[in-house]
Amino acid sequence: MPDTLVPTIDSPERTRKLYERLVSAVIGVAVIALLTGLAVGQQLVGAAIYLVGVWVGVALAVLIPTFSEVRFYDERDDAIYRRASGTAMGIAFVVGLSIIPVLYVLDAAGTMTITPTMWGGIYVVSALYLCWGVCYTAISRRR
Amino acid sequence: METTLPERRERGGLSQGDLAEAVGVTRQTINAIERDRYDPSLELAFKLADYFDCRIEDLFEPELNGE
Repeated sequence: MPDTLVPTIDSPERTRKLYERLVSAVIGVAVIALLTGLAVGQQLVGAAIYLVGVWVGVALAVLIPTFSEVRFYDERDDAIYRRASGTAMGIAFVVGLSIIPVLYVLDAAGTMTITPTMWGGIYVVSALYLCWGVCYTAISRRR
Repeated sequence: METTLPERRERGGLSQGDLAEAVGVTRQTINAIERDRYDPSLELAFKLADYFDCRIEDLFEPELNGE
């Protein structure tokens, strides 16, 4: 065993937990502010605090791992992320492929009408796959 | 994939956190490898083998079909 690799105490573990709690707390406060604003009729204030809170939370989530010496993510986290993303996209694909054409046909036949909410869902799924396709193409060309 | 990682780590008096720090991953990853819930990348397998001064085959035994 190399002598230079000295075992360390578990402070990285504590740092990781502190990081997770900090980011969760900031985003949690933002969500509570949004809901509170909605409840007390101060939607604009709630939305403003929410936006600031989320951006601060995202900035912390990105900047802390960038500048910290502690490793926050590793290859297993990447593998989990890839698996979860693939599963989510697969589910969206199956659901979209099985439902959307049926909706179009039924709407065209006059059996039912696609409501604005349903159109919203169709657009979201379509935009998601368009975004995925662009990302996939860009990444696959670099590999 | 079967591994001798826990035995080698404990023989060296290391915690999972110690080994994780030494090879640059999180403690959860070492734990997952030892519990056969995660197969390490080739790079990590080389790091672990280098750390324990052994071959990768001494650390990991793949579960090949038909064997």
